[in-house]
Amino acid sequence: MPVTVETPTEKWAGKVREITLGATAAEGGTRTSTVTVGGEGTMPFLHFEGETPHRPVVAIEIYDIAPQDWSPILMDYWGDVVNDVVAWAKKAVELGADAIALTLRGAHPEVNDRSPEDSARVVKDVLAAVGVPLIVYGPGAPDKDNEVLVAVAEATAGERLALGLCEQNNYRTIAAACMGSGHIAVARAPIDVNIQKQLNILISDMGLPLDRILMDPTTGALGYGLEYTYSVMERLRLAALQGDAMTQQPMICTAGHEAWRAKESKVGEGVPEAWGDWKERGIAWETVTATSLIEAGADILVMRHPEAVAIVKKTIDQLVAK
Amino acid sequence: MSRRIAAAAIRGAHQVVAQAEQEIQAALEKFGPDKPVAFPSTGYYLPTVYGLTGHAIEKLSDVRVTLDHAKSLLAPEPSEALWLPYLGPALDAGMATLFAEELIEGVRSLNGGWPASTNNGAKYNGPIDDPQMRAWGIQLVDGRMPGFAAIVGTAKSNEVAVKIVRELQSRGILVLLASGSPERGKKTIVDQLMEEGVEMGYGTYIVPFGPDTISAVHALGFATRSAISFGGLKPGQGEDILLYNKYRVFAFVLALGEVDDIKYATAAGAVSYGFPVIADTNIPNIFPNGLTIYEAVVRMPFDDIPGADDLERAEKLVQRCIEVRGVKIRISKVPIPVSYGPAFEGERVRREQLRAEFGGRRSSCFEFLRMRDTSEIEDGKITLVGQDMDSVDQGGALDLGIVVEVAGRKMQTDFEPVLERHIHHFINGAEGVQHMGQRDIAWIRVANAAYDKGFRVKHLGEIIRARILSEFSAIVDKVQVTLYTEKDDVQEWIKVAREAFRERNERVASLTDDSVDVFYSCALCQSFAPNHICVVSPERLGLCGSENWLDCKAAYEIYPTGPNRPIEKKGLIDAEKGEWESINQFVYANTNQSVERVTMYSMMDAPMTSCGCFECIVMMIPEANGVMVVSREDPSMTPAGMTFSTLAGMAGGGVQAPGVMGIGKYFLGSRKFLATEGGLKRVVWMSSVLKESMQEELQAAAEREGIPDLLDKIADEGVATTVEELLPFLEEKGHPALTMDPLF
Repeated sequence: MPVTVETPTEKWAGKVREITLGATAAEGGTRTSTVTVGGEGTMPFLHFEGETPHRPVVAIEIYDIAPQDWSPILMDYWGDVVNDVVAWAKKAVELGADAIALTLRGAHPEVNDRSPEDSARVVKDVLAAVGVPLIVYGPGAPDKDNEVLVAVAEATAGERLALGLCEQNNYRTIAAACMGSGHIAVARAPIDVNIQKQLNILISDMGLPLDRILMDPTTGALGYGLEYTYSVMERLRLAALQGDAMTQQPMICTAGHEAWRAKESKVGEGVPEAWGDWKERGIAWETVTATSLIEAGADILVMRHPEAVAIVKKTIDQLVAK
Repeated sequence: MSRRIAAAAIRGAHQVVAQAEQEIQAALEKFGPDKPVAFPSTGYYLPTVYGLTGHAIEKLSDVRVTLDHAKSLLAPEPSEALWLPYLGPALDAGMATLFAEELIEGVRSLNGGWPASTNNGAKYNGPIDDPQMRAWGIQLVDGRMPGFAAIVGTAKSNEVAVKIVRELQSRGILVLLASGSPERGKKTIVDQLMEEGVEMGYGTYIVPFGPDTISAVHALGFATRSAISFGGLKPGQGEDILLYNKYRVFAFVLALGEVDDIKYATAAGAVSYGFPVIADTNIPNIFPNGLTIYEAVVRMPFDDIPGADDLERAEKLVQRCIEVRGVKIRISKVPIPVSYGPAFEGERVRREQLRAEFGGRRSSCFEFLRMRDTSEIEDGKITLVGQDMDSVDQGGALDLGIVVEVAGRKMQTDFEPVLERHIHHFINGAEGVQHMGQRDIAWIRVANAAYDKGFRVKHLGEIIRARILSEFSAIVDKVQVTLYTEKDDVQEWIKVAREAFRERNERVASLTDDSVDVFYSCALCQSFAPNHICVVSPERLGLCGSENWLDCKAAYEIYPTGPNRPIEKKGLIDAEKGEWESINQFVYANTNQSVERVTMYSMMDAPMTSCGCFECIVMMIPEANGVMVVSREDPSMTPAGMTFSTLAGMAGGGVQAPGVMGIGKYFLGSRKFLATEGGLKRVVWMSSVLKESMQEELQAAAEREGIPDLLDKIADEGVATTVEELLPFLEEKGHPALTMDPLF
C-alpha cells in the first residue's frame, strides 16, 4: 500500500539579498561576464521549500607576487605563472574560475612594500587580461590596506569590484572608497553573529547601499574550527530568512586560504603514513572545507587548487539540480 | 531668522544676481553663445548648479536658465513693517546667490582664471579639482578629515590669522579661504597668511579660492560634488544633497571682520547645507532652527572673547566653531615620546627600573574625572601645576593629583565613573609606565627607559585626552587635564574628589531596580554562547562582573549598534521574582527563541542563563535546604561533589537549569540576590576567597537581613568539602536556612 508522507516546510519571511559582482561595458565597467549571488529564500538547497535562484560560485585566489608561504603542492601545480600575475589570472579563468580573487600581498610593508599606485596598476592589468569579475584583497596590514584599496578603487571606478577586508576596527576608509567608486565592500567579522551584524549596520550607516556589502563570517579549515563557522553561518542565514534585514548579505568564504595553511595540506614530511598521499590529501582538505561551507550557505568560495575547484564545481552542479 | 540678517541676505542676493547678469552679458558679447563654460578638471560642470538643479552648463548660452532661476528666487527686501516669516525668502536668496556666484566664477574662468594675489604674484586656486575632491571626500567619509572650515574675511591681525589656521590644521580640518574685510585693512586672510609665510595649497590642506566672497561658492561646490560622489546621489537631487551635507559633512563658515550683504547672502546659502556661521563681529545670533544641527549663526565678537591675548582668543574662537558644528576630532596617535599600545598593558616597572612613582606607600596619588559645561573648559589644555619628575631623585616618589575635566553635548554625570575607570588601562598602554588602582588609591610608576625618552608628567594628561577622545567621541567633545604635584594642591583636590566619590557611591547605592524604567541587555558573549543573553539591572550586574547597569547605559550611548541595548520594563508578571513580559519577549527574540522566560531574582524558577564567564556559581544543596556559592578562584572540592570547573560545565552555555546559576560576585551583596528564595540567608557554604574579598559588602548584607553574625554561620572549604561535613557545622552554628521554607 503506497504511503504518502508530506514533507514539512517552513514559510520564511525574508530572503538573502542579491548582489552582482562586476559591471559590463553597458553598466559602466569592462567585464565580459558578471556574477550574481544571493537571493536564497530557504536554507541551503532545500528546493522543495524555497528558491535558490543563483548557484554558489568559485573565485580562484591569486597573488600579485609569487607567494612565499604557499604549500609546495600549490606551487607545483601552478608552476611559473605565479611569477606573472596576468598569466596567472588567465590560467585561473581557463581552469574554471567564475571570478578572480586577487590578493595584493606585494604591497605589504614587510614583503615588497609596493606602492598604492603600482598596486592599482596591477589590478588594471588583471582587469585588462580577463573578463570575469574581480575580488581584490589588500595586503593584510590595516593602514596599507586602506592606502592600496583607495588607489585601486579610484583607478577602477565603475568596475564593481569586491574590496576587502572591512573589519570592525578598520572599515571606514575601504567602505568610503567603495561608496565613491561604485564597488562592493567585503565585511569580515571574527566568527561572531552579532559583530557581523553590527559591522553590516555600521557600513550601511556610512551610506554604502546594502546591495554592495558582502559578508565574510571568517572560517576555519576542516579540523580547525570549521564546525564553529558552520553554526555561525547557519545562524546568520536563519536570521536572514526570519527577516532580519541586516544579516541578509550573501556570504563569501576564504576556503582555500584556510585549508592550505592546515598542517595536513601544508606538510608532506614527518607525518603519519596513514595520512596517505600528500597531494591527494591537500586537495581533499580544500574540497571538504569548501563543500561544507557551501552546505552552510556560502555564496562565494575563494579557493586555491584548481583540482579542488573542479570537484567543488561538480558538487555545486549536483546540489543545484532539482 | 533675524530680520536684519534676512534683509541683508536678500539685498546681497539682488546685488550678486545683478552682477552675474552684467558679467554674462559682457561675456556673451565678447565670446558668443557657443563659448564653452567649465571649471578646470571637473566632470560636474558648474557643480552647485548641476548638483542642486541637475542643469549641466556647458556653454555660455546654457547659463540663461540658471540666471532666470536665480532671479525667480529673489523676493523683495522685507520692509520694517512686514512681520511675515522671512526665513523662506532669505534661504531662497541664499540659493540664488550661490547660483549667481557660480555663474560669475564660470565667466571668470573664460577671462583667464582667477586674479593674482597682490603680494607675491601667486595665483589663487579657484575651485578644487575632481581628483583632490575625491581624495578629500574619502577622508571626510571615513572620518580622517573631521570637516572643513570656509573662512571669509580678514582676521584681526596677521598673527591671529596664522593662529586660527594652525589650530584648524592641527585638528586635521581642511581650510578653505576667500574674501577680505575692508574695514580691517586692504588685506584678505590669504594676504595675511602669505605675509607670514604660511604655505598654502592642497599639500597643506589650505586652499585659497579667491580674493572676494563670490569665490567662496567653491566650498559649496566641493560639498555638492562630494555628496554626489560618496552619497550615491544624482545631480538634481538638491534636497538630498543638502541633507547629506547637514548630517555627514562637518563644515562651518567662519566670518572674520564685518559681514556685508554679500557675505550674508552667501552664508544664507551655506546654512541650507547645514553649515553654521560663526562671526567674530557683532551680528545677531540665530539659534537652532532645524536647518543646522545646533545653532545656525553665532556671534563671538573677537575682542570680547575671554583670554589673555589675541592668540588665546583665536584658539577659543576655533574651539567654539568646532562645538557649534559638532565636529568630531579623532586622534589617531597618542602624542607621547614612548610607544603606545595594548601590548604594553601588562608590563611591570620594578624597583631597579624605577625612575619615579606616584602613590603607593611613599606618596599620594588620585585620579578624578568630572563633567563640566562646555564653556568652562578648553579642549587639549594639559597643565602641570608644580614640579616635574626631574626634581625627584632616582627611584623617588612624588604626590600627584590627576584632574580630568570633560564636556560634551551627550555627556551625563552618570558616565563620569565609567570614563574614570578607563584611566587605568589608558595609562597602562604606554611603554614603561605602570598603573594600578583607581580613585584615591591610584599608583603610577615610570621606568627609567620611559623617562630617558622624554616621558614627563604632562604626558599622562596627553594619553588620557587622546584616548578619551578616540574611544568616547560619541559623548565627549572636550578634555582638559590638570596635573598637580605640590602636596598642598593634592590634599586640597583630594577632598573635592573624595566628596564626589562619596556622592557617586550614594548614587549607585540609591539606584535600585524599582527606580529605573529600563534594564540593559548584554550580548557580548553570544559569539561563543549564542543562546545566552544577560539582562543587567541596577541591582544585578552582569555575571562576568565587568558590566554594571551604568556601564551598559554608557555603552549604549557610545555604540548604539553594539552589544548593550535598553529593555523597557513593561508588563509586570511577578514583582517578587522579577519577571516582566517585555523582558521575556526580548530574551526569547535574542536567544534564538530558546529561552522563553527569565526571572531576575529567582534561581529556582526560570533563572537567568549564563554564557560561562560568571565570577561565581550558585548551586542548591538540597540536604541543607540552602545554596553554596563557589568562586572561580577557588580550586577546591565543594559539598556538591564537584569543583568549580566541573560545575561551570553545567551552569554555562545558555542553558536554563533551575537550582544552578552563574553570577557576578557583587550580586551577593545586593538586596535582590535570591530575593525569591530568601536572600543571603540561603547561603550555607561559600568559598573563603569570597568571604575575605567581599567581607564589607557581605557583612552589610548580613546586618540588613538582621543576622549580623551570618557570615560565621556560613561554611567554607576549610570546614566542609562534603555534605556530611557541612550539615553538622550548620546545626552547630544554627544556620537560618535549616528552618526556612523548603527550596522546592
